[in-house]
Amino acid sequence: MSKIMLRQVYRGVQGFRLHTAASLASEINPAEEEFRTLELKTVRQEKRTMRDRKKTPILPPRYKRQKLDQNWGNVWPTARTFHPATVPFPVRQGYPATGQPTPDKWGNAELMKIPNFLHLTPPVIKQQCEVLKKFCTPWPVGLETPAKQDKHFPATVSTSSYLHSSPSLRDDRARIVTMKVSLKSLELDDHGRDKLLRLVKDHHDPKTDTLTLVADRCPLSTQNRDYCTYLLTVLYTEAMKTEPWEHEKNVADYERYVWEGSRSEAAARALFNARDDSPSEDVLTEYAKVVTELHNEGEDDSSVSRYRESVLKLVGLT
Amino acid sequence: MSAVLREGRVILFGRSCFSQNVANFLMPGSSVRNLSTTAAVQKVQSGRYKVTRDRSRPLTYEMANQPCQIAHRKSWNSWNTTTLYEGLREPETVMDDVFIRKFMTGTWHNLFVSEVIIKRQHNMIRIAGIVQQKLAARKMYFLIGYCEELLSYWLKCPVKLELQIVSDKKDVIYKYI
Repeated sequence: MSKIMLRQVYRGVQGFRLHTAASLASEINPAEEEFRTLELKTVRQEKRTMRDRKKTPILPPRYKRQKLDQNWGNVWPTARTFHPATVPFPVRQGYPATGQPTPDKWGNAELMKIPNFLHLTPPVIKQQCEVLKKFCTPWPVGLETPAKQDKHFPATVSTSSYLHSSPSLRDDRARIVTMKVSLKSLELDDHGRDKLLRLVKDHHDPKTDTLTLVADRCPLSTQNRDYCTYLLTVLYTEAMKTEPWEHEKNVADYERYVWEGSRSEAAARALFNARDDSPSEDVLTEYAKVVTELHNEGEDDSSVSRYRESVLKLVGLT
Repeated sequence: MSAVLREGRVILFGRSCFSQNVANFLMPGSSVRNLSTTAAVQKVQSGRYKVTRDRSRPLTYEMANQPCQIAHRKSWNSWNTTTLYEGLREPETVMDDVFIRKFMTGTWHNLFVSEVIIKRQHNMIRIAGIVQQKLAARKMYFLIGYCEELLSYWLKCPVKLELQIVSDKKDVIYKYI
């Protein structure tokens, strides 16, 4: 054997140095004289098993300890994610895998995702209504019918508040205030009503005869509500006033057609004068009515035919 | 198909072919480089798991149903009013949800067996999910309190944790694929 090979053998053998040391010592153990076998192939040792953890005992589900006639409102007082050990009845949710039943409530994430209404069972709702009843007052006497309500409370103010699932409860739209007033309740005369309608223009709905004021210019709804009442006050006072320049209103400014003093009246009277006939008032009033209707309400088959009838009567052809 | 020309060629043909199409540059003898492409496969592979030979991959119900099954066989993991008409604060809520999910899966290390479910009602955030029973009960209580406290400070909302404990993670396996 070469020196290198020998050196490798010496290095490889574990107890070699020990052997030489032992032989030099005074006491020599005869058992140590034996050579240890050189293991070139390592034998796989057994896997070391991990220390057995204390297995936490799986307790029986909670509902087994609940009485059958318990107060469910105390068990599930508020909206809560589904919990299978607390809910006493069996529930299944999900699409079954092939050859499997519908997944049951244990470890079912789908049942946890959906909202449940276990906190709003009928007895609980009844109990909550009983508690809320003490905050309710009866409907005021004298306001039974809508007519009475409109008479005493002609103006309606409406605001909306908005809820979001966010840390902030601010919403810009909550400041908008709408006020609805019926013009009948304002008790204006013709001039006042005409002036108000001119001031208000689009905000008036002719079908329902209501004035709608929308205020959103201030940051708070209370401020907008005050602004609405201020607007209404100003409109009403302005409508009641008569400015000196209003007397300059001429026929072209009239909001409705007025027959008295119009060219149509002049023409009709001229017609009678030409025939040297006294105008019969019935015919004239009917003609006036029909012409006013044509101008104000617009042309219609029936109104045009009525106009035809009255013109024939006026001219004397019928 | 795109044709890439050398700059010299562009200058050469610049004056004479100023307003003509690029295709006119593909004259015989001109050196052009082409890119040949095929039609795209248009394959949907989101949320889908590959089948194994020996059916050894376990899937939960969530994993087994693909995103196209949401609102059919699956429900949403995040419930809030931001996606409704004129709902506010949508992007901030999404980022908060991402943060909550990372925080929960990190704090409950290797313990969540389902997705983190986040429900918002008014200003309350309720976090739900299924957790393995690897920890002692005291540690779980501590983690629940810790999560609720810190998250409520970060998100500026009251936070409630509603976890379900499962003894073995094999209980949530829906099928093997």
